[in-house]
Amino acid sequence: MNMLPGPTQIAAICLSAALPLLLMCYARIIRGSGRRFRLGCVSVVVLFVIACIAIPGQRNLDDVLGGLFLLATAIMLCYVLFSLLAWGFTLTLLTSLVQAGRPLTSEQWAAAYMQGGDIGTFAHNRLKLLTGSGLVMTTDDKLAPTAKGLAVTYLVKLVRLSTGLG
Amino acid sequence: MSFAVGFIAAIAFALLAPVLQFMARAFAWSIAPVILLAIGAIVSHGFGVVLGVLIVPQFRYWDAASIFAFCVMGYVFAFGAVYKSVSLEILLSLVDRPERTAPLSEVVERQVPHLFQGRAKILVDGGLVEQVDSRFAATAAGRNMAGRIGRLRRFFGIGDTGLYDFID
Repeated sequence: MNMLPGPTQIAAICLSAALPLLLMCYARIIRGSGRRFRLGCVSVVVLFVIACIAIPGQRNLDDVLGGLFLLATAIMLCYVLFSLLAWGFTLTLLTSLVQAGRPLTSEQWAAAYMQGGDIGTFAHNRLKLLTGSGLVMTTDDKLAPTAKGLAVTYLVKLVRLSTGLG
Repeated sequence: MSFAVGFIAAIAFALLAPVLQFMARAFAWSIAPVILLAIGAIVSHGFGVVLGVLIVPQFRYWDAASIFAFCVMGYVFAFGAVYKSVSLEILLSLVDRPERTAPLSEVVERQVPHLFQGRAKILVDGGLVEQVDSRFAATAAGRNMAGRIGRLRRFFGIGDTGLYDFID
């Protein structure tokens, strides 16, 4: 068994480790968590392509393919953790309760979560994601799924079933 | 050939992970779904390595590990997306209605507060928040976790609203 990664795979592993640091650096110069994350991903992919060209010696397809898989894995892992930090509902509920510094009723907790807003602000924010991505449409103050929304729903149910979530 | 072994291990994971989730529900195991995914990944990865060593003369660990990690992470990504997404729960509830439509006010005033209460219960069940009479307070474990989250958010320059930033 060969336990040593190829040169391109080593580059991918290093870039994977560098992605969180890159996101930290971008935090000082780029507004918007989503935009920052996309730019971080583009940066590591460009650096990987440069590494593929710049690393001396003959390219091995298995090595490059393995490197691509490793880098894509790191990007997905970072996205899962980054999105939890940035948009995680439950985590933000906890931090808002701790920041309040005193026991809160359910209503007060909701207000603390929204930092002065109300739960409606949160609802509209999540609904904006659904309407903005064309999954739900609003007509006469009524919400209805679009054809794309229906397709996504079937996909979600399939994923839930096949991953054991029921 | 090493890639094929990694892919076979990923298929083993895709078969094992749902079985673990079903068993956890059936036997009321108090193990978080994410921990079950991690157990499934470790077991199937071990299976892949043993299989590779046995059947591939020049088994390249990192070739197998790369495709295995990619497939497993794709699975975890999909799992996380459908597991507890507020937006998807709203969408699913719309589709599950007979008329497939709902007044905006009902979603805002009833469904979202219901989701809010559900998440509060998760925090209480997880020992991060305690309920005394009608009030909620963070436990020591909850305060520790919130502190860690706060540090990570500052590290990555992430605000603490939990809202999507549509300025993008």
